[in-house]
Amino acid sequence: MTKYSIQATNSSPSINFDPDDMSFEIKGESYPENCWAFYDPMFRWLEQFFSVTREERVEINMEILYFNSSSSKTFMDFFEMLDTHAENGRNIVVNWRYHEENESAMECGEEFMGDVEQIKFNLVELTDIRESE
Amino acid sequence: MRTNLFKYYDEMKQDGVFLYFNGPVSQRVVEGLADSMRSKMRAEEAGMGVMQRVFSILVEQMQNIVRYSSDRHVDSTDSGGEMAHGQVVVGREMDGSFFVACGNKVSAKDCATLTASLQVLRSMNKDELKAYYRERRKSGECVTDKGAGLGLVEMARKAFRPMDFDIVPVDGGTSFFSMKVVIQ
Repeated sequence: MTKYSIQATNSSPSINFDPDDMSFEIKGESYPENCWAFYDPMFRWLEQFFSVTREERVEINMEILYFNSSSSKTFMDFFEMLDTHAENGRNIVVNWRYHEENESAMECGEEFMGDVEQIKFNLVELTDIRESE
Repeated sequence: MRTNLFKYYDEMKQDGVFLYFNGPVSQRVVEGLADSMRSKMRAEEAGMGVMQRVFSILVEQMQNIVRYSSDRHVDSTDSGGEMAHGQVVVGREMDGSFFVACGNKVSAKDCATLTASLQVLRSMNKDELKAYYRERRKSGECVTDKGAGLGLVEMARKAFRPMDFDIVPVDGGTSFFSMKVVIQ
């Protein structure tokens, strides 16, 4: 399966999903004009990925500095989709990464953590600026 | 149109306004204005928390203009080409708190729903708003082609006090909607 790779813009994050080395990362800001249009191809790629891969463990790193309300809904849909795959036996880990000064990113992570059921949701505080770059 | 804009300049200054925009809002305008506002607040050494809240409310208000203003410059089905007329104002109150306000025309038939939604939000405390937000985000019932319908709830949660709004009829089919959110 080919990689899914999207470059960041001012209002949309970079997405790098590499099934060869099993690395999955979403990073940046998320307030695109049409959230559904932006994330729909990512959802479709993931459904394809889960239907072909046999890997048990999938770990996803998310580092979102800011996201708007539409993105918030989309991320919830994303976590619910992952929850369904976890329910079906996959070991799914989401690392929600935020800088220590970004209080709102931390609070948002806490709320998502409270709303997921089957996936393992880790809050990862970044203290060194270099780590977040 | 007068040549001398000093009256506007002076009035804005007296009202504590540091950013004012009136015109066609597109996604590019949203990104540009939100970014310059962030630079301005960073230069003033506003705290990260308050800066994020002001940024967030400005983005939600401008994206609402793009989606819902009835005064449209390009009513394109292409998601990249939408542009709608509206205004946004960012400034500081006398007590130092920030405010973000917006104004745009809306279809008169949508006003009853809009008023009801805002009154519900105005009646809720922080915990109720949080629970309502999470419930709506999980339910999926609020999703339309225009968005998740969570923008007003998001703003209400970040507001320091209940959000003020005003709706005045312009003509039979159109009203003018204004809202102001105070942030601390």
